[in-house]
Amino acid sequence: MPTTSFPAGRETYQKIAANIARIMRGQEAATRHLLATMAAGGHALLEDFPGTGKTTLAKALAKSIDAQFKRLQFTPDLLPSDILGVSVFSQRDQQFNFHEGPVFTNILLADEINRASPRTQSALLEAMGEAQVSVEGERRNLPALFFVIATQNPVEFRGTYPLPEAQMDRFAMQFTLGYVPAAEEVAILTAQEHNHPIDELKPVVSLADVVALKLAVEKIRISAELKRYVVDLVAATRTAAGVQLGASPRASIALMKIAQAEALFDGLEFVTPEQIQKLAVPVIAHRLVLDPQSRFSGLTARGVVEEAVKKLPVPA
Amino acid sequence: MKIPPFLLLATLAFWGWQSGLLWVGVALGVALESSRFIKARFDLADEDFRRIWNLCIVLTLAVAAIVFTTNDEGGGGILSNPTVSNASNATVHTATTLLRWLPMTLFLFVAAQKFSERGLIPLSAISLVFKIRKRRGADSVWDRAVDVSYPYFIVCLFAAGFHANQETHTYFWGGFILLAWALWPARSRRFGIFIWLAALVLAVTLGYTGARGIGLLAQASQSFNVQFMQWMLRPKTDARQSITSMGRIGRLKLSPRIVIRLEPQNGSPAPTYLREATYRSYQSRDQAWQAGSAGNEFTEVSGETGGLNWILLPGVTNQSAARIACYLNGWSADLKVPEGLLPLPTGCSRLEKLPVVTPPKMNRTGAVLASGPGLVIFNARFGSGATFDSPPDAVTNLLDSSVPTNELPALDQVISEMKISGADEERKLQAVQSFFANKFTYSIWQGRDKLATTNETALAKFLLSSRSGHCEYFATATVLLLRELHIPARYAVGYAVHETSGKGYVVRERDAHAWCLAWDSREKIWKDFDTTPGSWIAAEEQRASAWQWLSDGWSWLRFQIAKFRWGQTNLRQYILWGLVPVIAVLLFQIIFRRRKRKATASDKDSAEKIFWPGLDSEFYQLETKLAARGVPRQTGEPLADWLERTLAEPALADLCAPLREILRLHYQHRFDPHGLDEAGRKRLAEKVRDCLEQLARL
Repeated sequence: MPTTSFPAGRETYQKIAANIARIMRGQEAATRHLLATMAAGGHALLEDFPGTGKTTLAKALAKSIDAQFKRLQFTPDLLPSDILGVSVFSQRDQQFNFHEGPVFTNILLADEINRASPRTQSALLEAMGEAQVSVEGERRNLPALFFVIATQNPVEFRGTYPLPEAQMDRFAMQFTLGYVPAAEEVAILTAQEHNHPIDELKPVVSLADVVALKLAVEKIRISAELKRYVVDLVAATRTAAGVQLGASPRASIALMKIAQAEALFDGLEFVTPEQIQKLAVPVIAHRLVLDPQSRFSGLTARGVVEEAVKKLPVPA
Repeated sequence: MKIPPFLLLATLAFWGWQSGLLWVGVALGVALESSRFIKARFDLADEDFRRIWNLCIVLTLAVAAIVFTTNDEGGGGILSNPTVSNASNATVHTATTLLRWLPMTLFLFVAAQKFSERGLIPLSAISLVFKIRKRRGADSVWDRAVDVSYPYFIVCLFAAGFHANQETHTYFWGGFILLAWALWPARSRRFGIFIWLAALVLAVTLGYTGARGIGLLAQASQSFNVQFMQWMLRPKTDARQSITSMGRIGRLKLSPRIVIRLEPQNGSPAPTYLREATYRSYQSRDQAWQAGSAGNEFTEVSGETGGLNWILLPGVTNQSAARIACYLNGWSADLKVPEGLLPLPTGCSRLEKLPVVTPPKMNRTGAVLASGPGLVIFNARFGSGATFDSPPDAVTNLLDSSVPTNELPALDQVISEMKISGADEERKLQAVQSFFANKFTYSIWQGRDKLATTNETALAKFLLSSRSGHCEYFATATVLLLRELHIPARYAVGYAVHETSGKGYVVRERDAHAWCLAWDSREKIWKDFDTTPGSWIAAEEQRASAWQWLSDGWSWLRFQIAKFRWGQTNLRQYILWGLVPVIAVLLFQIIFRRRKRKATASDKDSAEKIFWPGLDSEFYQLETKLAARGVPRQTGEPLADWLERTLAEPALADLCAPLREILRLHYQHRFDPHGLDEAGRKRLAEKVRDCLEQLARL
């Protein structure tokens, strides 16, 4: 495949990916998904078992970009003001001063997001959906790059609050890291024999480069036929048997935008059906609500999307 | 809930056994149950189910039409004349057969479910409400699918109830076992099997007694209802006695309801009177006329072959004929059909096309009793001359000449007033006629002043003082006067025919009349002799309501319905010929609509396909060629993935690079909104050509 005429965008991606690969071994696919989500202006939800490197991946990304990074550990007693910020009365100035919360940053790592109460979780809603925060009746805009990486742990149920459907829908993509092969794991051990390599990680791109990447993604072309394919694919999940709630048009938008980003990463100027197909599961599956009956009989959201991809005639 | 295995087979076999279609039932059951072993399934859409359902409905309609028109039980065909034995119960027969055949007509629908991939029937296919709701809103409640096995089971069980042998209890026990079988999987596990069984037995017993009770009640009310209806149609005439309303005060009230319709045939004159019965002896104590029982039993009338023509007077050929339609207003307890006296013209010799279940009966005083449908239409041949009444005789105590002794004084006084003793028969009749015409008036109003005192009879009061009354007074007085004048006479009741309507005549209830039959000793025949002043018709008509046309219209309508109900019309034959095109149109519609839908659907598809750019790519030729090598592309498989799969074949190793290049160009041609430039397009075509050549060489 030939290189695209947007070297800036692709180069930025390659630089970040290479940098992360130094830390995250054998996680090229996850890294690519994460970067595509960021480039498409979405937010990512990482769901995997403890110790698979969710937090490390997020930190590696943050360190690779010369941008503000904040990390928020979600706990049951976390309050919305702990995220958004709070006005404090200053004795000296005799007025309220707004202290910005961790949400005012470029990259926000919301660690173990399902441990906070739904009230706190929803505090992230507006920020994620509209890139703005309303505190005390005042609207405050978030920076041009605002990327939330949330992680959650699928095995623990005690003391957790599953994310509501509305919030799940706000994550453009949900994916897992998975365990790496034994050889890769040995390499991880070797790398960390003396100290953690992440401490040595230096930024490789500037914030401006990332913003430029986002603009480049927006210029990737997509044909009407593939737009229709995206819509048909998402619509297929709404009518599938055993599905209580199908994916929303927001899913279609996310699928198209991330496909555009992936096309850019592939060095193409336009989206191809392969990119859409590969993204269908991580973009759509987490938005579906299945019938309890079908869930018990072994149906999974992932299965529903895979079936839709398999059944729907793909443009060729 | 799934229906237990082989329950449908057992039910259908039971249904077949009960309705005499055992092998049909077994075949249907086996066909349905075979779905458990045959794994082949049809992918039926909602629209297909709807079409099959419509087909079943059309089938049911067609069965109804055929059954209704053929009436196989009577032995007649579509084109034969309706006879009473089958015609009168055609409606009942149709309904029964339709219900009995339901398992057959609905079979296709159930089979469609059993052999469909879904295994369920969407409710929107059956119910219009569901269909509309589904189309209107996205609410999934209206998108439900159901298993029709259980409803079908109930239908089969119900249909088995319409069996031929009413008396046996096989249906009851069979139904009980099948119900228990059907309910077994749904039983509550909280209770033991004995409690379950006891509850079931209790329910079935209650149901059985309840159904029996209702059946008896229905039977009772039905017979009551029919009798009641008959009574409503026409005042019933008793062949044995007629109680007159002489001596009563008040207005004689008879309605203008049309009870008989008459149409003279072949230009013959209409009869003046339609007689139902004659009576011989008068009981002055209760003003009743009696026919006399001795030697006056009803005897069967001999019929001609074919069973529709009956001879009342053998050896007489009359030319005049009239078509008479009348209701039979009694109820035969033995035959369970309506029966009644036929109103016949004087001198009637022969009844033609009279639909009756058993031969009509006649007695010696001129009454003909027929049992058959509630409405009979027949041709009566009549003429002046002999009647089928018995001649006056000495055997039966001179009943035709005797006069009650307590009426004698009044009669003698009147005869002396007429001054006709000794005159010949003809003169006597003339004298009586003129006597009544000159000195009496017709009146239906009997005031208190006309009430007879304790010393005199009602007839004496009429003859001597009031000299005003209705036909019963005139007829009774005339009969007794003639007898006193030594002319045998009888009291006749029936209807006067005078009101024309179209080509024929209508006879209303108020046209009911009583007159006298006088014996003509010269010709040895009975002759009508009516002394009631001719003004009686005018007097009756005066009372006609201005709204009579309305009731006449209603009466006509009821007449048509009765004609249809009792099979006295050929309409049923035309129904089939009317239904055939309707059913044909429906079938055509079902098939045609499918074609149309398909056409529009493919139009839409092709329209969309044509719309996408780049479908002219030469790559597709390559795809066809490569797929022919054994690796066809799956529906959801993108070209790139498929190509990599294809290239795994070692023989194609050389083609890898050019094929990938072609795919890239093809993708750009297809999916890049900017498309390929002129040069790229040419390059794609050339590369494909090269590749095809290389492939051909492999």
